[in-house]
Amino acid sequence: MNKVMTSIENLKKDIGDFYKPELHHFMVMNAVEVGDQIEVQWFFSDYAHPCDTTCFYTLVRPETEIPSIKDIVASAWVAEAELVDLMNIKVENTQKGFVLEPDFESGPLRKKK
Amino acid sequence: MGRQYEIPIGAQHISLLEPLHFKFTTENEKIVATEANVYYVHRGIEQACCSKFKFRQVSFVVGRVCGLCSISHTTAYSQVAEKLLKIEIPLRAKYLRMLVIELDRIHSHLLCLSHVAENSGFEALFMKTMQYREFSMELLEAVCGNRIQYDFSIVGGVARDLKPQVAQSILERLKKFIPQLDELMDIYKNNWTLSLKNKGAGAITKEDAMRLNVVGPFARAAGLAIDVRNETEDLLPWKQVGFEMITETSGDVYARNMVRLRELYVSIRIIENIINGLPESALITETKAFPDGEATVRLEAPRGELFYYAKGNKTQILERLKIKAPTFSNVAAMAEAFTGNEYGSAPAIIASYDPCLSCTAR
Repeated sequence: MNKVMTSIENLKKDIGDFYKPELHHFMVMNAVEVGDQIEVQWFFSDYAHPCDTTCFYTLVRPETEIPSIKDIVASAWVAEAELVDLMNIKVENTQKGFVLEPDFESGPLRKKK
Repeated sequence: MGRQYEIPIGAQHISLLEPLHFKFTTENEKIVATEANVYYVHRGIEQACCSKFKFRQVSFVVGRVCGLCSISHTTAYSQVAEKLLKIEIPLRAKYLRMLVIELDRIHSHLLCLSHVAENSGFEALFMKTMQYREFSMELLEAVCGNRIQYDFSIVGGVARDLKPQVAQSILERLKKFIPQLDELMDIYKNNWTLSLKNKGAGAITKEDAMRLNVVGPFARAAGLAIDVRNETEDLLPWKQVGFEMITETSGDVYARNMVRLRELYVSIRIIENIINGLPESALITETKAFPDGEATVRLEAPRGELFYYAKGNKTQILERLKIKAPTFSNVAAMAEAFTGNEYGSAPAIIASYDPCLSCTAR
């Protein structure tokens, strides 16, 4: 797995420069709690070099809003909506209520402090 | 412009096996927009795996993510755990994992095909396909001990060996199944009524499949050659046992039927090759290590690419486990592929997606 660090400011540019729909397959987004921060990850594979997995990641505070990559990766809205519900992460233009009922407790996968 | 109607299907509906909800906007009989909701069955399995269960027990928990493709989940989890433990499993265990995965693919594809027939209004073909599927369930029970939710792959290898008489029985039953599969292929391919329902229905192009990151038979039916068995030779040696990529081009329900049927012939060949060349070795690699670091694994489940991410912290409890099921990748395309189709075709189109919300919502 090739991990590429990015930042909130550069995320869309980095993924936009990298992602070509005819070359790359967007797999999923993930989030891992690291201390008081959350490591948000975007996973891609490569059609031509299928064993290569590229992971863009950035560390954010839980209250930080992450830019959406829907305009770069058309199917990313599903993964973004899931993280909003399950990890209580804020993603630009994404509402609660896709994976869980809208009135469900936010972020059930977050560790209880 | 005709009058528009909003028609919901699901979460509980006769044409849906899964708790999935679609809201169709129709104009006359044509679907002009679709909204999908998947939020009915979240069970908190990822959270349980990172809080209540030790990492060796997790392979038994993830086997309950899905009844149909539990071998894919237990194998993918075992592989990601083995990466964290930095162990290599015995070759015989790899071959036995592939054997069960392919038996599982046979029963899963036949189930999907039968439901496409049923939702296309062809009850007799539904019953015939389900009847022919039964042998694969019996073989899975003989190999694993269960008809579904088989705890066969475990961290380090497999839980059971293949008895010689069971291996012989598999070969004999597969031989009997080939003419039955030929018969099914003939009906699904050439039946005029079924082709009227299935040809052109729910079609997506290869470009759309790429743009929407579609996986599994859904993608391959549109001509997108994505099959993890072609890509992960380091974990399971698929090419050694006869893997072949199957693709079609029209991207409709008919093409998805053809991909699944043609893949059954490949699965039969793989199983025969595995049994005829099964290496002798131990079944499990023992270790007292604890998972450390992070790793990812991809595995081709019957519905497409299954993805596991795990992070260990040198304790018995994992720091994080992430499961991405194939249907999750296909949700975006599922919603788009309805547009422009007759509302009456929706049940067959849904069945041809082979959606699994049990996996998707976990």
